[in-house]
Amino acid sequence: MSTLSQLSGLTWSSLAERPVMETGATVLAFWAATRLSRLGGSHPLLNPTLLAIIFISLGLEATHIPYETYLRGADTIHFMLGPAVVLLAVPLFRQRAVVRISARLIAVGLAIGLPVGILSAVGIAWALGASSQTILSLAPKSVTAGIAIGISEQIGGLQTLTIVLVIMTGVTGAVLGPIIARLARVDDPRVVGLTMGIASHGIGTARALQISEVAGAFSGLGMSLNGVLTAILLPFIWKLF
Amino acid sequence: MLEQIARVLCWLCVGEIASRSGVLPLPAPVTGLILLYAELAARGELPQDLGALADRLLQFLGMFFVPAGVGVIAHLSLLKAEAVPILAAVVGGTAITLFVTMVVVNRLGFAIANDQGRATGSLEGATRDVNS
Repeated sequence: MSTLSQLSGLTWSSLAERPVMETGATVLAFWAATRLSRLGGSHPLLNPTLLAIIFISLGLEATHIPYETYLRGADTIHFMLGPAVVLLAVPLFRQRAVVRISARLIAVGLAIGLPVGILSAVGIAWALGASSQTILSLAPKSVTAGIAIGISEQIGGLQTLTIVLVIMTGVTGAVLGPIIARLARVDDPRVVGLTMGIASHGIGTARALQISEVAGAFSGLGMSLNGVLTAILLPFIWKLF
Repeated sequence: MLEQIARVLCWLCVGEIASRSGVLPLPAPVTGLILLYAELAARGELPQDLGALADRLLQFLGMFFVPAGVGVIAHLSLLKAEAVPILAAVVGGTAITLFVTMVVVNRLGFAIANDQGRATGSLEGATRDVNS
């Protein structure tokens, strides 16, 4: 009996010191979130990342585990963000033929969508009296989250706030994209897809893929190119002000 | 496969050095992305294992920003206090971006569509493997 309690004591302390619990909980939460999202027909409002964030937050609240403790353990998963963003080069490379063929369409889309995306968000927030920290966190909202937190850090925003704003933007774009396309009488899947990728990154791209393969491909391109270009341009623009 | 994992970490590492030393004002993974793309473009082909690695990892991209996203619980009061400007900027800004970009690109697209009419056929094959 004493050996057993010793053993369980040992197991518990090693669990607490190592990232097993936090990593496991994150994977489990995301798995449950993905299942729930599929049950709901993958509706953009049931975004798995957002659901998983809510699950974990509620769990931390219930167990009184501080966020810092959780993050130290879940750092294994957070770390994967870097390699995953580097690997975005692969789908971009696969689509190089499309980029070459539709270079002008894509260039025009980025020349309009990128600045309008930043300025409209920053302008509205500024006009309604948001704090400068909120405005800085909002600036990269249209960019895919892995890149957006890097930009947010560079310009002095709150990285964690940026992630949530990025997801909210993605969900908004995924819901409004097809509606606005109808209102604006735009039925070219290349234009609709590209715009949804530029305005609402991966979540918009997932929705665009449901419209058609062409829309999905252009959306993926819009997302990647907008991410890279915003990362290059935004810190420079910010220094000008 | 190990070679491809090493390749990705290697470019990420170069990006990390470039960004920490202040050589490039870019997030490290973005520099890594650009360098990996440049390498692939120079080779002219995609190693099969690298493609498999990307497909597998990017499938879970949404999970990788959960830990950082949970950090927003520290800023709930800020979210509540500035709910109106934040919601207006996110929803309004995204709607404006979608509308303006679609309308302008579509208008200019008529000119572009002509020199691309024959491109649509070759598009079909190229669009297969896009995800997330």
